[in-house]
Amino acid sequence: MATTNATISVGSDIMSYPVRINKTMTMKKFQSCHGLEETSGLRTKKFTVTTETVVVEQDEFTSTKACKVYMRNTGSDKAHYFYVAKHASAAAATTDAEVIGKLYGGDWMLIPYLADVNITVASSSTDPVVLEYMVFAE
Amino acid sequence: MATTTASVAISSSDLQPGNRLSINASSTLMQTGLTTGLELMEMGKGKLTEASAADALHESLGTADTANWVYICNNATDDTHYIKVGIHETIIGNLGAGDWMWMPWNMSDGDAEINIEAEPTGATIPYEYAIFKSTYTLPAKT
Repeated sequence: MATTNATISVGSDIMSYPVRINKTMTMKKFQSCHGLEETSGLRTKKFTVTTETVVVEQDEFTSTKACKVYMRNTGSDKAHYFYVAKHASAAAATTDAEVIGKLYGGDWMLIPYLADVNITVASSSTDPVVLEYMVFAE
Repeated sequence: MATTTASVAISSSDLQPGNRLSINASSTLMQTGLTTGLELMEMGKGKLTEASAADALHESLGTADTANWVYICNNATDDTHYIKVGIHETIIGNLGAGDWMWMPWNMSDGDAEINIEAEPTGATIPYEYAIFKSTYTLPAKT
């Protein structure tokens, strides 16, 4: 059994009082106290087209119910972003795909993933933008 | 301008034998990719019961296709208790006991609400959440 920990820290002065979020989790199998044991490994991919691309194939993690997906837009330019969607398409906000959100330069996400549908991304630019991502699975 | 910073550290010494995992990332949250920080937020906690089925944690009442962020934490201590997290009809994933998530949310259209559902049968799950937003319109009064 492997032990994988993830800690989030959020600090903000939006409110008139300090906002702080600090939480650590140990990634576990579905309804279990045992840790996740598989991973896609850390991957990086450079995009120079705006076409939607599958980066996480559900086939690879079929029927797993406790996956986690980490993604980060490694760029620093806030003008360049990735659409992230749970579908075969992520080309625009108004497509039938269930667009999750956008990762601007430097943004990261860590979400649970029910491996029933692919995860796709689409870059906003033909300028090179690099995505870093990793799947943690049962 | 408000400044909100989100950081993550992921580590494991034994997930990949012979290759210690250490990921560290940090970002400052901006309004729709601009240089202005997010200035709206909502934070809270509650208890979710399986009997209530899926509930909308937050309606998609801001401007579509904007930069927004969602933090949800499942504070259950029973490993069998999990929260299904979805956007409208799509289940994003299962948030297990003790798990948290950090997700961009672009409010792609009016039917892009964030919803949560407690499982399994009989479960009552304490949760916390925070949502950082670019824009938001309060619901009309009834």
